Amino acid sequence: MAATVESTIKFPYKRSLGPVLGAFMTALTEQRIIGIRSGTRVICPPLEWDPNTGAELAHDFVDVGPAGTVESWTWVAQPTIQHPLDHPFAFALIRLDGADTAFMHAVDAGSIDAMATAMRVAPRWKAERKGHITDIDAFVPGETPQGGGGGGAAEPVTMMDYNASITYNTPVPKNVIRGDQANAQGRFLGLKCPICGRTYTSGKGFCPIDTIELTEEHEVDLPQTGVVSNYTIIMPVQYPGQTETELFSRVHVKLDGVDVVLGFQPLIDVPTSAVRIGMRVSAVWASEAERGDLDPRMEGNLIGWLPTGEPDVEDPDLVNRMP
Amino acid sequence: MPGQNPDDIAIIGWSISPMERHTGKTEAQLLLEVVTGAVEDAGITRREVDFTCAGSCDYVAGQAFSFVQNIDAVGAWPPKRDSHVEMDGAWALYEAWIRLQLGDIDVACAMGSGRSSTADPALIYPMEMDPFYLAPLGADAMSFAALQARALLDSGKVTERQMAEIAARTRRDAKESPYAQVKGDFDADALLREDYVRSPLRKHDLPPITDGACAMVIARADKAKELCPNPVWITGFDHYAELHYPGMRDLRESRSTTLAAKAAGIGEGAVEVAEIQAAFTHEEPLLVEALGLGADTVVNPSGGPLAANPIMATGLIRIAEAARQIRDNGKHRTLGHSTSGPCLQQNLVCILEGN
Repeated sequence: MAATVESTIKFPYKRSLGPVLGAFMTALTEQRIIGIRSGTRVICPPLEWDPNTGAELAHDFVDVGPAGTVESWTWVAQPTIQHPLDHPFAFALIRLDGADTAFMHAVDAGSIDAMATAMRVAPRWKAERKGHITDIDAFVPGETPQGGGGGGAAEPVTMMDYNASITYNTPVPKNVIRGDQANAQGRFLGLKCPICGRTYTSGKGFCPIDTIELTEEHEVDLPQTGVVSNYTIIMPVQYPGQTETELFSRVHVKLDGVDVVLGFQPLIDVPTSAVRIGMRVSAVWASEAERGDLDPRMEGNLIGWLPTGEPDVEDPDLVNRMP
Repeated sequence: MPGQNPDDIAIIGWSISPMERHTGKTEAQLLLEVVTGAVEDAGITRREVDFTCAGSCDYVAGQAFSFVQNIDAVGAWPPKRDSHVEMDGAWALYEAWIRLQLGDIDVACAMGSGRSSTADPALIYPMEMDPFYLAPLGADAMSFAALQARALLDSGKVTERQMAEIAARTRRDAKESPYAQVKGDFDADALLREDYVRSPLRKHDLPPITDGACAMVIARADKAKELCPNPVWITGFDHYAELHYPGMRDLRESRSTTLAAKAAGIGEGAVEVAEIQAAFTHEEPLLVEALGLGADTVVNPSGGPLAANPIMATGLIRIAEAARQIRDNGKHRTLGHSTSGPCLQQNLVCILEGN
């Protein structure tokens, strides 16, 4: 199997609920389940529109359940971290008493042998409810609601949190591994397309113009000097992962003699007021002792780019070069 | 005869990547190969492709706007007209087919790509569900499928034995396919002795987790006839969606499939082969009934999604396999089907005909 890099992405969504879903979530805090009238039917969970016509529904809510009948079910022997229970349980479509549609939720039945189509279930409420579908901990066999206690929300519920997290293991292509190895040795590796002659950083692995794969045989060493072709000055906002606290710059560096532009590079010892297009710069690599202090987002052992002191390059087209 | 009208559109080439549990390639690299394969199959170069449309999913890729990098695979220099759908590549083909009907350009390429191995599909799928009532329960594809399977079993529309026999048949058929991950000779009785993974579903009722991609080139009538001795004509193409929340639908039927099939003109002739996106065994008889197919229609001779299921490309591959039956196997009228959403919420039908 190829080398992989692990990354975890979190999705911390805050969602506004509006008048229909908000009423449903507020009712949950009061240990009530409500549906909405749509013509002669009662829909639960409530929708904002008539599912047959798309017409907006009047906010005519009806208490349903709390007990209901299982219309279909499945047994989850190995729950995921996103499931509402951490031990084996059933997912079920439950037609709550007084509703004309089925409500999907967990049934904590203890064993698959306790599950059957048409069985009766009732909600087990959480002790602390916030206006969320998981205020119902799960349904349990029988007619009698369980758990709960305490009062409902003091104010109508208008927002809900949804937090998910997914861990990805992304394969690292060979060309990227070879590029990283070169960076660790203080070199920039490029890949030169044999058709158009354009050069790319090793991370690309193919020429997007001629659409051919670029491999070891196309490798070239890239120069370590270049010119600032664009820049940005950043006022750091304190989002997770941001380690900068003061104004800082990031520059694009067009390497000498090739098409390659390295994007978003750090400058060394240049105040933000002095950053400019045309500035000549040279790569600075970390010594053995400095390596532990490197920003892990940087390429290999590159610390950044130091002005060479040579005269600026005057080229109005420089800024048009993109990484 | 299809191809008489200049607005008729035909499939003139396609390419399917190897179907693997884990690929070492990026999605752009997967697409690079199949786009090259598809244009070569069509006897053209990327230069002659006027419009491209890709189907992929950011949650599967683990990256926002992941399709922006994938466009490198189409060789967008000089720049190309390009679009993207967060749907199976079958819907990308649908958009390309619509786009060519404007009449100003002749050739389009549709793609679908997915690398499901990158994360746990059971954690990704709920992210795409209703964010209020379903996603916070971690409602995953397997659980939805199992709820639908139970509804069908309880109603007597399918049996567990029938489901095991479908698995055995598709795995046997897949032995002939170079694009199958799960194949071989299996005995339905032995399969039925296995434990449930998600009762009433056993492992053989589930699709494998697959990395893969597919690209397909289509052209307007004159161009198709110029480039290709045996174009495969798209004579009907439509898709319908129904309510998202499965508890508000009758899970024993698939009305959107029936509507799409009618709109695509399925009744205008016999269907010799249907390649349908039945990723779970019980979906096959449900879809066959909804499509109105008879016993004389061969279903999923490629092995179908039970043999290889590269999310976001599975549906486009169905259309490619249906086209293969006409171009390479002498059939005259076939069908490709794709689906999306929980419990077959949205369904697409593409009718293909040969000369």
